[in-house]
Amino acid sequence: MIVSRLSLKEKTSLEKIVAGIYLKFHPDFSLKRAYLIGIQQISLKFKFRGGNVMKKYLFLVISLALIMAIVLSGCRTKELGTIKIGFFAPLTGFAASDGESVLNSAKLAVETINNAGGLLGKKIELVDYDDNCNSDQAVSIAQKLIASDKVVAVVSGSYSNPTRAVAPIFQSAKIPMVSSYAEHPDITKAGDYIFRQSFVGSIQGRAGAEIAVRKIGAKKIAILQVDNDFGASLADSFREHAKDLGGEVISFDKFQIGEKEFNPLLTRIKKENPDLIYMVAYYEEGSQIMKQMKQLEMNTKVLGTEGIDSTKGFFEIVGKDAEGLVFTTNLNRDDSRKVTQDYIKNYTEKYGFAPDMVGASAYDSFMVLAEAIRISGQATSDAIKDGMYKIKDFDAVTGVISSYNKLGEVLKPVQVQTVKNGEIHFFDEITDTKVITPPDI
Amino acid sequence: MYLIVVATIVSIYAILALSVNIVTGYTGRPNLGQASFFGIGAYTTAILAGKYGVGFMPSLIISGMIAGIIGLLLGLVSLRVKEDFLAITTIGFNFVIVAIFQYVPFFGASMGLSIPPLKLFSIPIGHIGLLAIVLLLMLLVILFSYRLERSWLGIALVSIRNNEDAAESLGIDVRRFKVISFGISTFIAGLAGCVYAYYMGFIMSYNFQFMTSIAILSMAVVGGLGTIAGPIIGAVILGLIPEVFRFASDYRLLIYGTILVLMMCFKPQGIMGGDNSTFINLIRKTPPKTAGMDK
Amino acid sequence: MFLQQLVNGVVIGSVYALTAMGATLVYGILRVLDIANAGAYVIGAYIGMTIYALTGNLFASLVATLIVSGLIGVGLERFIYLRLFNKSPVILLITSIGIFIFIEDLLRLLNGPYAKRFPAKLPFDGVQLANLSIPGTWILVMVVTAVLLFVLWYILYHTKIGLAWRATAQDIEIAKAMGINVNLIVALNFFLGYGFAAVAGSLIGIMYNSISPTMGDIPAYKMLAIIVLGGLGNPVGTVIAALVIGLVETFIGGYIGFFFPRDAIAFVALIILLLIRPKGLFASKNI
Repeated sequence: MIVSRLSLKEKTSLEKIVAGIYLKFHPDFSLKRAYLIGIQQISLKFKFRGGNVMKKYLFLVISLALIMAIVLSGCRTKELGTIKIGFFAPLTGFAASDGESVLNSAKLAVETINNAGGLLGKKIELVDYDDNCNSDQAVSIAQKLIASDKVVAVVSGSYSNPTRAVAPIFQSAKIPMVSSYAEHPDITKAGDYIFRQSFVGSIQGRAGAEIAVRKIGAKKIAILQVDNDFGASLADSFREHAKDLGGEVISFDKFQIGEKEFNPLLTRIKKENPDLIYMVAYYEEGSQIMKQMKQLEMNTKVLGTEGIDSTKGFFEIVGKDAEGLVFTTNLNRDDSRKVTQDYIKNYTEKYGFAPDMVGASAYDSFMVLAEAIRISGQATSDAIKDGMYKIKDFDAVTGVISSYNKLGEVLKPVQVQTVKNGEIHFFDEITDTKVITPPDI
Repeated sequence: MYLIVVATIVSIYAILALSVNIVTGYTGRPNLGQASFFGIGAYTTAILAGKYGVGFMPSLIISGMIAGIIGLLLGLVSLRVKEDFLAITTIGFNFVIVAIFQYVPFFGASMGLSIPPLKLFSIPIGHIGLLAIVLLLMLLVILFSYRLERSWLGIALVSIRNNEDAAESLGIDVRRFKVISFGISTFIAGLAGCVYAYYMGFIMSYNFQFMTSIAILSMAVVGGLGTIAGPIIGAVILGLIPEVFRFASDYRLLIYGTILVLMMCFKPQGIMGGDNSTFINLIRKTPPKTAGMDK
Repeated sequence: MFLQQLVNGVVIGSVYALTAMGATLVYGILRVLDIANAGAYVIGAYIGMTIYALTGNLFASLVATLIVSGLIGVGLERFIYLRLFNKSPVILLITSIGIFIFIEDLLRLLNGPYAKRFPAKLPFDGVQLANLSIPGTWILVMVVTAVLLFVLWYILYHTKIGLAWRATAQDIEIAKAMGINVNLIVALNFFLGYGFAAVAGSLIGIMYNSISPTMGDIPAYKMLAIIVLGGLGNPVGTVIAALVIGLVETFIGGYIGFFFPRDAIAFVALIILLLIRPKGLFASKNI
């Protein structure tokens, strides 16, 4: 098309530039030759654009193939007569260890339910995906679960960012979602179909303050907090409540996820000599904090949170250095109730290591969904949602669940555990409703 | 609905790939921090629409402008910095911007920011509507790139890429155009950020990390820098890999890494890159100036 | 407290120096930013841990990890980087990122996502003075880093092959023309570069008794900032820049607390430096 328009006679500014460049580099060229080459360059460029049919076809073929692949991959074999529950977790990426833990528990939960006869005579089918802890992917997964897999309910085994992103999607699709352990307060605000299995951040922070000031009797507290929403919500509510109870927070330090080097911070904190360090961290950082405290010969008492409650991730690494650690969590290893002990036993037998907080939370998410189905007698999304609100005093692995409030937040006691002789044991349980009642707006 | 959602995010990435194509493809300036401008656009929208209730159209324009202005500043900085350092400067910029989003409470700090659902003239726009808007935006960017390629400005940019000294000696104000290309590129990224904010409904600093910049640049490179179809194809292919390979979910990152390496080894000019000298110039390094190790 | 922070900073800086050395060496020869070098960091940690588990000998595991990772580096160079030698830096950078992603995920698949222990028994104890406690691992890190860097310095500036190396780094074409076996030099370059990063990874694993597949994420990018600060391709400058960053990070954490994400500090320093001195901290005279 455009090729024909260009002839030697036309010396547009375009060609002048290109010719000029060529002349610069090949001063031996005649002006005519330079122009010729210039035109050739431009026409090649345009010809490529307009005329390279092969490339266009290639593009079309590739995109069609990809689109077909997606459509086909969306059609999973539909097993008739099963109750499909969707599930997503970070199986790859920095959070992969939590992902493995929750997926194990999810599979165990589904197995346990099915072996006991299923629900309403039908088996439960787990539809699980990896979100790489990435909210973009979580959003696509959500749509896939709704439209292609047609699940009746969903459990989130992922962190706050992905969970928060998909909550509104499930809400508008009217599919109930139970968030296992993501604690961002906005998640349940998405609507009445969204529930949270584990206590929201502010509750755990307050519970921590109760233990710190009332039970341990600390007056001067240093806070070490991981810099994300988990760290912020726990540390902030801890600080507020501790102040109300008469404690004083003397220092406040943030660190990034995955940080290993705490000597600078700990050296300074050691100098300030607090009674207690409140450590809001995940197990990678938490284990380093404990170890480096021992290295620096710091004997300060440490109060941790559910973030470090990981068998393989924390206790294996930290070894003897965690002796005396107290932490708030949801899994009471000494819980005498059968449901908890069975879970611990079955998980350990099946996977070779003891379960942790995220695993227990995921397990219970499935269990409460099952209970909701039993209560309402139906396995439709609306029935499940209504059933969730009707749950009362349910015997879950992570404690007796009193109920879900109108925001979808759970009401259950906060467990406090301690490390004694290298093993995790019961320390205390916070049942004070003033502390553990979740916000309902 | 699933396809619509996937199409929306892929289109947003296509717009981003096209935007980075302008500064890295046409002008040849390596930009490994495009996600920062994506983020600046998204956060601007989040603050305008989320905190102050500003409407869609004004948010879109302002997000683009702010990203563009900051991009111009980065362009000015890039002038001072030697070629080899530019890539790292953009990486550093990315880290710093993400750190700012992470730490400053006005930007939500670690809790992130929410964006209300998209409304055009008070009519709520659903997923399909959003996809239509994104596609329209992409079309506009494609048209713009097309016109740019054939314009005086476009030729000037490409000549800067191919041989800066020659371009300068021909009277092209190299400095001005380098800065302009940064500004244009980041303006578009800001626009993409705005629609992304509406799409996600909730943003956090993690969404705009360095890895995202790499993803954007890879899409443009794998598809073919310096073309228009290239970045779009790159976005389609690399953007769809997580979806298509969901069944092999455990191996997805492995596959992604392998594709990057294979593409660069065997077809570094990208899928749409041709054999004409425009591309040979693009992928050939300028003669290296000496550095280091001569003490 | 000042002394404690100082020693801490030096230790951290030493590890940074060893890790960044790989990237500096690769840049010196090929003029490309190599993120895959951080892959060697992670691989090195796992190899070190495995060899230690098999032999119980710390020295053997460090040597083994250097050699194995060095060979992997040479392999990468032969099969991948050589092809792309004369292509644009953007392409090489993306390739190295692809390799890095591949390595980290492969390690995750092989070893599982959980952190693993690297419980090395040191042949010496730590030092406990009045206000100063220096764990044995810190001493190990400083000693090994010093030894390796000294060896590198000696090779570069006091041997014939070092001379050939520096010539190649200056201008590869001319070096070739002068009869220098450029292929050997480049291979040696990658061998040491990747080997050093691997030892650094092992040392970190020992120091924190923890290795995980994603431990290379932060070093990958921080090292880029450090080598630019050090003058891109300048080994001495890299060491100094690494120590400076290590000290700055430590002192900020120790005295003010991290008012800004710790890992962004290196980049802030970089941007400020480039605004003031666009040629870098220790610019070579020839740029």
